[in-house]
Amino acid sequence: MTWTWFHRLASPPYIYTLAARLTPWFAWPAGLLIVAGLWGGLVLAPPDYQQGDGFRIIYVHAPSAWMSLMVYTTMAIAAAVGLIWRIKVAHAVAASCAPIGASFTFAALVTGALWGQPMWGTYWEWDPRLTSELILLFLYLGYMGLRAALEDTQRADRASGVLAVVGVVNVPIIHYSVTWWNSLHQAPTVMRLAKPEIAASMLVPLLMMLLGFTLFFVAILLVRLRGEVLSRERSASWIREVVSA
Amino acid sequence: MNSMSRFFEMGGYAAFVWPAYAITFAAIVLNILWARRSLARSREEARRRLAARGEGA
Repeated sequence: MTWTWFHRLASPPYIYTLAARLTPWFAWPAGLLIVAGLWGGLVLAPPDYQQGDGFRIIYVHAPSAWMSLMVYTTMAIAAAVGLIWRIKVAHAVAASCAPIGASFTFAALVTGALWGQPMWGTYWEWDPRLTSELILLFLYLGYMGLRAALEDTQRADRASGVLAVVGVVNVPIIHYSVTWWNSLHQAPTVMRLAKPEIAASMLVPLLMMLLGFTLFFVAILLVRLRGEVLSRERSASWIREVVSA
Repeated sequence: MNSMSRFFEMGGYAAFVWPAYAITFAAIVLNILWARRSLARSREEARRRLAARGEGA
């Protein structure tokens, strides 16, 4: 097995042009899936027999919560790769993930509060699931704050990378919090080993939203990654070609 | 009551459903704007770095 693909992926000019070329291939399917998922979730899916139309919050809450965990996991893996093999591009991926993950963690918390009030009678409870998700938001904000505080990019990459890797323990805690502790929050409906416990007319729009949000993440990541890669290169001649274009 | 206004009433949950959709929509739009701005800024900085080194841009 050759490692050329790995070395090429670590090459900044290759990544820059590849990211630019790939972005629309993720952005357009993401947009289509999200629009179709919205139609399916808001119009086609029937009201829930217990929660009525209130359950439709699931189509924005679950994808946001999924993003908060998936983006963090991506960020931690990228940071670990960057720390172990000293690959600048990997650190650039990790740095690009943070603002995306933070914004969707915030959305997951707010949409969850808006769902909690009518169904549980409270916007907020210091419940294991809710509290661990709030800690995730602080991890993202801490990561971004640490990067902003360190002038030198290499030091920022290393310090924030360690924070990202250590913080990943919170991801399984969030996921299993509803099983390990007695939580107000329901157990997973879709992300479970057994068959999903939800009718197809409700499930299909949810899956479209989950996939659409994931593709959206990749598209945004690719745009941010180009900026991060550029800012890490000081003198390389390829920069002249891409910025003057 | 027509079906359109019934849709917007969301079975009495309008005050919770629509803000939830609005905040998520805002997260999507802001991510697009922030990502574009961050790339534009990095390109501008790189251009300035090159100009300062006399390499032109």
